[in-house]
Amino acid sequence: MNMPLYGQMLKNHMRTMTSYAFGSAFYILLMFWIYPSMATQSESLNALIESMPEGLGKAFGLENGFGSIDAFISGEYYGLLFVLILSIFSIMTSTQLMARLVDQGSMGYLLSAPTTRIKVAVTQAAVLLTGLLMITLVTTLAGYGGYAWFIGNLSDFDSNGFLLLNLGAFLLFFAVCGLSFLISAVSNDEKKALGIAGIVVFGFFSLNLVGKISDQLSWMQHISLFSLFNPAGIVKGTVSWTPVVIILLAIGMAGFIAGITIFRKRSLLL
Amino acid sequence: MLTVSHVTKVFPGGKGIFDVSFTVEKGEVFGFLGPNGAGKSTTIRHIMGFMKPEKGYVRIKDYDTWKDQGQFQKQIGYLPGEIAFMEGMTGRSFLDFMSSLRGGVNQQRRAELVKRLQFDDRTPIRKMSKGMKQKVGIVAAFMHEPEVIILDEPTSGLDPLMQKVFIELVLEEKAKGTTFLMSSHSFPEIERTCDRAAIIKDGRIIAVKNIHELQAVQRKLFEVTFENEADRDAFLGSGLKIDSFKDKQVRVSVQGDYDRFTQEAAKYRIRSIDVFTLNLEDIFMDYYDREGRD
Repeated sequence: MNMPLYGQMLKNHMRTMTSYAFGSAFYILLMFWIYPSMATQSESLNALIESMPEGLGKAFGLENGFGSIDAFISGEYYGLLFVLILSIFSIMTSTQLMARLVDQGSMGYLLSAPTTRIKVAVTQAAVLLTGLLMITLVTTLAGYGGYAWFIGNLSDFDSNGFLLLNLGAFLLFFAVCGLSFLISAVSNDEKKALGIAGIVVFGFFSLNLVGKISDQLSWMQHISLFSLFNPAGIVKGTVSWTPVVIILLAIGMAGFIAGITIFRKRSLLL
Repeated sequence: MLTVSHVTKVFPGGKGIFDVSFTVEKGEVFGFLGPNGAGKSTTIRHIMGFMKPEKGYVRIKDYDTWKDQGQFQKQIGYLPGEIAFMEGMTGRSFLDFMSSLRGGVNQQRRAELVKRLQFDDRTPIRKMSKGMKQKVGIVAAFMHEPEVIILDEPTSGLDPLMQKVFIELVLEEKAKGTTFLMSSHSFPEIERTCDRAAIIKDGRIIAVKNIHELQAVQRKLFEVTFENEADRDAFLGSGLKIDSFKDKQVRVSVQGDYDRFTQEAAKYRIRSIDVFTLNLEDIFMDYYDREGRD
């Protein structure tokens, strides 16, 4: 870690990170706000979901219905929107932290200072994870705030399930960040890094979606990272956490370590 | 102080640098001359440890610049050929950032450099002209008083006045014992500051010479305008190397032998003499020709 670099990078990226965090907080508040009006219709909505093909409901995390706020939030927010927000964050930020600096050449200045490439790369990875942590934390807090504000007493809130949703999302995106960081660290070209990371991340995302919709293609979701984050399952309490935690942490760590090691060893056109 | 030893790097497509070797002594200002695309920047990338040499190594003091990252940079100042700063910074915040990366620098020294190069360090970098950015880069390379300063085309974008300030700065630092490596595609720039220079072409070093020796082989083109055409004809027969002639004007190519040129020219009435600055290829035709024949 290089503290001056960490500080500077955090400063450079603070504005976008807070935009993501507050954007996400705003959306989750919106979800809590509209829930009561949805809940009064929950029976007819549930009937509507019943009438849809089974896969479609599963794909968008609607299988728990609209009966409870947890089911609603897990399906509507953590099932889709939050995943999209964090996907975009991971792809964009990891590209900006490594590939852009190499592409533009400002990495040359960082490496002409008395520091090592490993320290620079570790610092950039730390900035990325700080952003991810910040967005998840702000969203979690906004969730508690939204419950207290729009739904009722926090003591009735299934706090455990909600925290696990956030933990699950953080772990998934730890792994996604690891992969996109690896792509960014080995790229000389910012646009190429952005493109490849986008294809990989949204490719995984789509595989998961398609796998859930169609029974014939259900094998697809098993090769997607995103299937390891199952919001509906988390709320129902049917997720076995141990393999999920181990696999996601391992993939994330492997991505970061590989990115840092390759960055140390490769020739840079600066 | 700085040793580049048999450094080779071949890019896909066959370009690259081949077996580049030279040594820069402590307190020496070493020029690195070559036309665009000859391999100057690639060599400097190896010196800075940005690229891994396929063969050979670069040493600064006792550090291998590829293997000993984090060690050798303390004593190095670096001005990249293409200046790219991080977005959203002003000159001042960039210099603050570089100081903190270097663990603090002498603020007085930094302020003095900013004052000498005459720029407003509160300007956002993205609004700066090429020359302004170059000045910020020069301050960043000099402010921590390093032992070795590596400059890739340092005067590009600077106006003649600032080029002069820059040359003074280099000479002052040289007097203090600082070692310089300076790349350029312009011989006059190197001539004023350097003790020795290497000439690189197509990725190969074709000469490492004392600057006086280079001055001796350098060709200059003089355009002499005579009062009378008869004088011109007499001059044409003097045996000097004539490049071309038209009306009363004669272009003479002179290589080291200025004495003979002035003696011949002094015999006639002359209206004016102009010197043409040649590009590097023309200046060192000799070296290049020899290389071409091999």
